[in-house]
Amino acid sequence: MTQTTDDKSTSPVIIAKLKQMKANEIAPFISLAVLVAFFSIVVEDFLSFNTVTSVLTQGSVLAIAAVGMTFVLLCAEIDLSIGMVALLSACVCGELYERWSAGLPPETELRGISLVMCMIAPLLMAGILGLASGFFTVSARLPSFIITLAMMNIADGLARYITESQLHKVPPALNSLGNDAFSIGEMTGNESFNDLFIPYSALLAAVVMIVGWLMLQYTRFGRYIYMTGGNREAARLAGIRTGLIVTSCLAICAFTAGLAGLLNGGRLNGVTVDQNKDLLLNAVACVVLGGTSLFGGEGSMGRTLVGVVTFTVLSVGLTNVEVPQMENFDLLRPFLMGIVLLAALLINGYLAKRSKTT
Amino acid sequence: MHDLSDSATVDSTLLECRGIGKAFGANVALQSVDLSVRAGEVHGLIGSNGAGKSTLMKILAGAHASYDGEIRIDGHTAAIHSPTDSMQFGIAMVYQELSGVNQLSVAENLFLGRQPVKNGIRVDWKLMRQEARRQLGELQIDVDVTTRLDQHPLVIRQMVEIARGINSGARLLILDEPTSALSPPEVRRLFTLIRQLRERGVAIIFISHFIEDVLEICDRVTVLRNGRKLQTTPAIEVDKHALIHRMLGHSLEGEEIGYETGVTLPPKTDAPVTLEIEGFSAAREFKDVSLAAHEGECLGLYGFVGAGHQELIHAMAGARAIDAGSIRLNGRSLKPGNVHQAVRNGLVMVAADRAQTLVHQAELYKNITLAFLRRTIGNFVFRRREIDVAHPKLQEVGCHPPVPELLARNLSGGNQQKVVLAKWLSGPMKALLLEEPTRGMDVGAKDDIMAIVRDLKNKGASVILASTEPELLLAHADRILVFNKGQVVRELVDEPVDKATIMKYA
Repeated sequence: MTQTTDDKSTSPVIIAKLKQMKANEIAPFISLAVLVAFFSIVVEDFLSFNTVTSVLTQGSVLAIAAVGMTFVLLCAEIDLSIGMVALLSACVCGELYERWSAGLPPETELRGISLVMCMIAPLLMAGILGLASGFFTVSARLPSFIITLAMMNIADGLARYITESQLHKVPPALNSLGNDAFSIGEMTGNESFNDLFIPYSALLAAVVMIVGWLMLQYTRFGRYIYMTGGNREAARLAGIRTGLIVTSCLAICAFTAGLAGLLNGGRLNGVTVDQNKDLLLNAVACVVLGGTSLFGGEGSMGRTLVGVVTFTVLSVGLTNVEVPQMENFDLLRPFLMGIVLLAALLINGYLAKRSKTT
Repeated sequence: MHDLSDSATVDSTLLECRGIGKAFGANVALQSVDLSVRAGEVHGLIGSNGAGKSTLMKILAGAHASYDGEIRIDGHTAAIHSPTDSMQFGIAMVYQELSGVNQLSVAENLFLGRQPVKNGIRVDWKLMRQEARRQLGELQIDVDVTTRLDQHPLVIRQMVEIARGINSGARLLILDEPTSALSPPEVRRLFTLIRQLRERGVAIIFISHFIEDVLEICDRVTVLRNGRKLQTTPAIEVDKHALIHRMLGHSLEGEEIGYETGVTLPPKTDAPVTLEIEGFSAAREFKDVSLAAHEGECLGLYGFVGAGHQELIHAMAGARAIDAGSIRLNGRSLKPGNVHQAVRNGLVMVAADRAQTLVHQAELYKNITLAFLRRTIGNFVFRRREIDVAHPKLQEVGCHPPVPELLARNLSGGNQQKVVLAKWLSGPMKALLLEEPTRGMDVGAKDDIMAIVRDLKNKGASVILASTEPELLLAHADRILVFNKGQVVRELVDEPVDKATIMKYA
């Protein structure tokens, strides 16, 4: 660069800088492409509609939880309670369903308002727990890290107490939502799409994600989230009620966690207290894999989508990797998962840093 | 440990700076400055803001890695390029914002980073306390070394920091504005300590705006102006008036010339009162301050750093909590400590620190529409519409380049401040609170910012401008309140004033 830095040349320089910024936005796509390429070499028939269907089925629960987590991370907070809030809302749903069903004559299903209520009530409860986390985080001026850690234990304990650690059934509607799918082959009458199924759960995840994206990108509230996360003091001095923003984000996050919990319960056709253990860390990993900053203000729903897809491709791909020579290869899968995640995060982090300093 | 009494011969030159220069880009902060400080001497360093005092001190403290000229200590060249170098050459700096750890005990603070260790592992608490007591005793600082540092008044914390410097082997102490936040008896206490250190052969550089303090404690005084050294004189040969005179000088450039001879402040306006505060108090910062600012008036608040006028600006904007007081805007009561309400009603602030007022990783248009998003854009935000709103605002304030898609962090300080001002232009501006709005800017940027402010004032906004720079206030204020230690000590209105007078009252 032999440019003189007189005033007229600053704008082109800065615009060139804007173009360079894209490097860190492309990074997550590169990780995804590398993973897909790798698995299509290692795993037979990886590039197939079967794989697409598996990714959609397995990714839905995670995607819904990751939407809420994106809101929270964008305003520079974190919610550690989502796994247990998901569990609790599924447990509440199961308990309500079993109780209300018990009063019915045999062979009749719970219907109407009661059926809707046993799915709406847990979601409301999750939202209220999130509001509580938010309220205490803001009013006590403690990190959300600590408050939601407490909330995690509260939700876990309640879930155990309510279900007495027993398996509970969930409404068949949830089961259907979690497991049924459109067959694209049947719908289009084209036999080459026979293996491609679009699960209802993926549709639900898509709806949640689109709503989240619209909120973040096109509403005043979404803008306040970004600015609060980018510089909380500046947002406050501009007259933004940052406490309200943080509280709302934690409430939204708990709500989507509740929804993810219900969907997961439906997918597994029942709820037990060992569900959703990995949900928290997987959701955070997805959001960060997509390139959203843990320190707030930078990221988007689109990035979260890329993160979720990358994560799910990785986990589906690893399940399909077979090494016949190694007897205990199955036990090594979490290890490989960790290694690949670490590599992807390091590469993304490196690219993000480089595009910022140049 | 270094034995101080050995090296202490009164006439020996400890520190010698030759031809020190430093430029930040095109901005020359220091130009071939010579300075010599003897062991056992208290050397005053004065100069108005931007004279180069802090640049010189930062060089000595190792905060600037590169500079021109040579530093010699005990006659040998000392290559000081990092804080570690500076420490090794026996230089200790006590900044205005103290660096002690408030949550630790006095003894721990005294041995911060070099606690005595028993058996190679365990901290030897007993020895540490004994040593702390002995060292503080030698300096006649009488405190319980086991108590937490933040239980003590500022002067004790300052003295502990000085003692830490001395006990880690420092022979040259640099004190930056040590008396600005102290009460008169506390100043006496600090001076007793400084005199003891002088007797022990420690060299002290005493930087202060308080000319009386400098004259009382210093042996010699060096005056800096516009990055150059003017002279070094024995303190007994000069008086306050002469020093202020020299500090300000006659050959000032640019717009400051007019204000050297002074300005005549206009009589008090009879326009209605816009902003009124009563009995504003906040612990240690300001006490029982009442003031009223009128429509179309620029009310200047002058004081040294720590006088409380800058904190008052933040308190009036609702950005920091107060202990007591009430605030009214256009006759309507506001809730103190509520920025949201203040902004809604048109009481807005521009602070010195852009890190507090800009979201640096966000685009300019997002920063500009942030405060009045509903009013200007609505509940749904669209990039195109925002850019259409932000672009004329950027042009109005003369931001260069006026490109709304730029990130705030890519602008210079002056342009960033223009963006902060542009943010407020979309709302109802009744009163504009300014805290040192042009800090760290070059003359051109300063003029631009203040021209926008003047324009807003002429449109009827009431402006309150807090600054430590007399020039800024003389150039822009219609009325000046002088602050000292958190209180208004003098109101200047309808009278001729110059820089020396307003500094004298502070």
